[in-house]
Amino acid sequence: MTDVRSLLRSGTVYLDGGMGTLLQKRGMKAGEAPERWGLTHRDIIRSIHRAYFDAGSHIVMANTFGVNPVRYDAQTLELMVRTAVEDAKEARRESGAPQEKFVALDLGPTGQLLKPFGPLGFEEAVAAFAQTVRLGAAAGVDCVAIETMNDSQETRAALLAVKENCDLPVLVCNAYGSDGKLMSGSTPEAVVAMMEGLGADAVGINCSYGPETMAPVVLRYLACASVPVICKPNAGLPAVVAGETVYDVDEASFAASMRKLAEAGVRVLGGCCGTTPDYIAALTRATRDVEAKPVEPKRAAVIASRSHALTLSERPVMIGERINPTGKKRFRQALAESDMGYILAEGIAQEERGADALDVNVGAPGIDEKAMLPRVTEELQAVTDLPLQLDTADPAAMEAALRVYNGKAMINSVNGSEASMAAVFPLIKKYGGVAVALTLNEKGIPETAEGRLAIAERILARAEAEGISRRDLVFDPLTMTVSADRRAARVTLEALRLIREKTGCGTVLGVSNVSFGLPAREVIGSAFLTMALERGLSAAIMNPKSDAMLGAFRSFLTLNGMDANCADYIAFASALPQTQPAAAPAASAQPKEVPGGKGLRYAVTKGLCADAARFASEALDRGREALALVQEEIIPALDDVGRGFEAKTLFLPQLMMSAEAAEAAFREVKARASAASAMKRCAVVLATVKGDVHDIGKNIVRLLLENYGYQVTDLGRDVPPETVLEAVIRLHAPICGLSALMTTTVPAMAETVDLIHREAPWCKVMVGGAVLTEAFAAEIHADGYGRDAMAAVRCAERFEAEQNA
Amino acid sequence: MSTLHEVILPPAPIRREEALRYAMQPRTADGSGFPQMDACIRMAEGKITCRAVWRMDALAWEADRLDLGFAETESSALRRRLDGCDRAILFAATAGMEMERLILRAKAISPLHGLCMHAVGAAIIEEACDRLCARLAEEHPDDALRPRFSPGYGDLPLAMQREVFAALDCGRKLGLTLTDTLLMQPGKSVTAIIGLSAKGDNDR
Repeated sequence: MTDVRSLLRSGTVYLDGGMGTLLQKRGMKAGEAPERWGLTHRDIIRSIHRAYFDAGSHIVMANTFGVNPVRYDAQTLELMVRTAVEDAKEARRESGAPQEKFVALDLGPTGQLLKPFGPLGFEEAVAAFAQTVRLGAAAGVDCVAIETMNDSQETRAALLAVKENCDLPVLVCNAYGSDGKLMSGSTPEAVVAMMEGLGADAVGINCSYGPETMAPVVLRYLACASVPVICKPNAGLPAVVAGETVYDVDEASFAASMRKLAEAGVRVLGGCCGTTPDYIAALTRATRDVEAKPVEPKRAAVIASRSHALTLSERPVMIGERINPTGKKRFRQALAESDMGYILAEGIAQEERGADALDVNVGAPGIDEKAMLPRVTEELQAVTDLPLQLDTADPAAMEAALRVYNGKAMINSVNGSEASMAAVFPLIKKYGGVAVALTLNEKGIPETAEGRLAIAERILARAEAEGISRRDLVFDPLTMTVSADRRAARVTLEALRLIREKTGCGTVLGVSNVSFGLPAREVIGSAFLTMALERGLSAAIMNPKSDAMLGAFRSFLTLNGMDANCADYIAFASALPQTQPAAAPAASAQPKEVPGGKGLRYAVTKGLCADAARFASEALDRGREALALVQEEIIPALDDVGRGFEAKTLFLPQLMMSAEAAEAAFREVKARASAASAMKRCAVVLATVKGDVHDIGKNIVRLLLENYGYQVTDLGRDVPPETVLEAVIRLHAPICGLSALMTTTVPAMAETVDLIHREAPWCKVMVGGAVLTEAFAAEIHADGYGRDAMAAVRCAERFEAEQNA
Repeated sequence: MSTLHEVILPPAPIRREEALRYAMQPRTADGSGFPQMDACIRMAEGKITCRAVWRMDALAWEADRLDLGFAETESSALRRRLDGCDRAILFAATAGMEMERLILRAKAISPLHGLCMHAVGAAIIEEACDRLCARLAEEHPDDALRPRFSPGYGDLPLAMQREVFAALDCGRKLGLTLTDTLLMQPGKSVTAIIGLSAKGDNDR
């Protein structure tokens, strides 16, 4: 036995205990960094490591927990890793303890939140961890331990960095709150799915609370993990008594609680804050006679989002198909314009209809899928908790999306052709995921159910030969169009049954295709869905926004006893459109019926989006000229509201409601393309400056400027000066707007203003934000100042007039 | 080094009036309702558990400086606020990442939803701070508690956030981070100092 992987296979493994709390006892001040303190107190670090080896630890963590390039420069980083690893190895040499002894590189959080909630990009985080990992591997550690991570995405970044920069075994521990979730909201099941997918050798918990408090989370790990489970908790909760920090779980009770967890199946045991070599000695004594339980590989196919895991075998799941540009003009336009709002709204709408997961396909002519798929993936994950099914035929786009996907994705798709398997299997191996395996190959789609089963079996054999678990494959027996071949649906359904019976794997179907070319598609489509579900379909890719399809799905679950109190069915049914004449539609039509010309202008003034869109559409259909509609109705309405806002008789929300209603009307105008150019005004570049993430105000300004016809390019928040300049030059924009909320980010604003004035002297810069005043704006040489969103519009109009003068 | 106390503040009813105020809407003008705000309140209702961590330190008053136990300051505004106090509670509270998610989700629906959810988040964390303070007052029945005072108020430098974060172990206890520009993330978070003086002193 010579390495950590065989050690993990051989039986119970002991880790070390607390470090920081011990260093404080030895003179390190609270708030001091152990890795820096360790550089000048190497004898103390070595003696603690040695005491842990002597107490029975197999693996001791080098003092590298806080060592990462987000905190330290390259030289310091190298010195810290080398020193820490040398000290741990020296302690190992000094210890005469009989057990096998290993040294781990310890990786803790960077201390920065990842995007979209913080400043650190995912790839930046991977690169940061990679630096430390390479140094650790070069210094000769035996394995890597990722610890105390409270964000699943940062944990993924660290794990990916380990996997891409060394072949060392890796233990992954997360810190949980008392609610049994990470700070990022992830459940143990989701974390296990993603970390196993990325190839963790063992998974578990550390830090957090005492062993009794953590036991429920640890038991959930045991129930779903197929690798050894780690438990490395604190010695309970700390309190300061007479100036000393003491923890409320003593050695004996710590060891007794840990024994129970060992008996339940935990194979890797240690301690965190407040535990000492005495705790580890007590732990090894108390568990010496507990026989390590074998690790049982789990069978169910599991996908996961950031927040939760979804098992594909407990009940059929619904995968929303609407994020797909095929046959949708509006969607293609949104992609071409990078209109994320439209795509995100489509995701949220499907979630609200009860979808369990979302298919994400952004393939369209002229779209760079490799850039767009990861972008949409990240943006969707910020606003929805649903697991995603990444849908692309381009392996490079698939890999780009799998990297950033915070969870364990469904991979759509692989098929029985050599080329497909060669491209997709390595991605499953590296990133984890459940692949949708299409039962077709180079020769096409077999016409018989047996033919499709044969391909499924071949794919399964190949996958298993490459070390991919069968639980990570679900088979798609391919829905064909029944109008083209009367036997098509029967073959698909028969193949579905055969594959289920013979392979035991899950199945998936895109059900909509069956009705292609037929009238009343939803009627026959929903019947096909019911038949497929009855034959054991695990996942239906379908349109949750269709009442008929959703009704069939909900009814199936209710009739099969999978809907307690029929609650989901009742919720679905109560949202159905009323068949009797109801009061609601009459109310929304009200403005039309009210005499006195309460049409579009009224709707915009009152902020009634649906009415504004309807009035605009009707007027245009009647032949009203678009430009006249804009100039005589929409703009005057906006001006009325703007004046009311300036006079403080109306407030920000009304201003925005009107702006959104105007936007709805403009959308109708733009849909009739010839009219769109008539209302175009000049380009404006908007950004919230570097270091600042407060963008609510900037978003309001964008909405209003767009209302007034400006061609706004919104660079988002936390934008470096160079990026702003690049956009101003590229668009030759005559106007740039910058926002900052904090005094600490005003320097970044001043820097951006200076850069634009120097490199793009044609561009006028207006600034706004809570801390700014007119005087302050002048001081940083801004050309204009917007106290609020209306003032920003006025300022842009003034700039534009000056340019044209 | 003082004991760190962790407090869980479960979801409470969202104060609509407060949220309206944060959305810069002093009242619903004509009583016609404000559907975006109502939708955001529904989305957030019952979803946000706030968490806090606090510690108490003895104050050491010097001629022109005040030793807060975790940091020293020359801020005259804070000195005025703590005048007569011999101890202070330092706390950090956050509505956490879930609140950030709700805000991003609302922004994806519309800018106005974004504004409203921001306001709802502010109302939630402020209410949680009020609850925390009420609880601290209950736990210290013999003391008078001063109103809370945060880094960045008056002449108390925002840079003190660095010392506050170290003193409360905000990263580990609450999942909070501080950017180079001293922004707290997740954003709906509060740090503050509360002065304590024995009630008897004031009575005399």
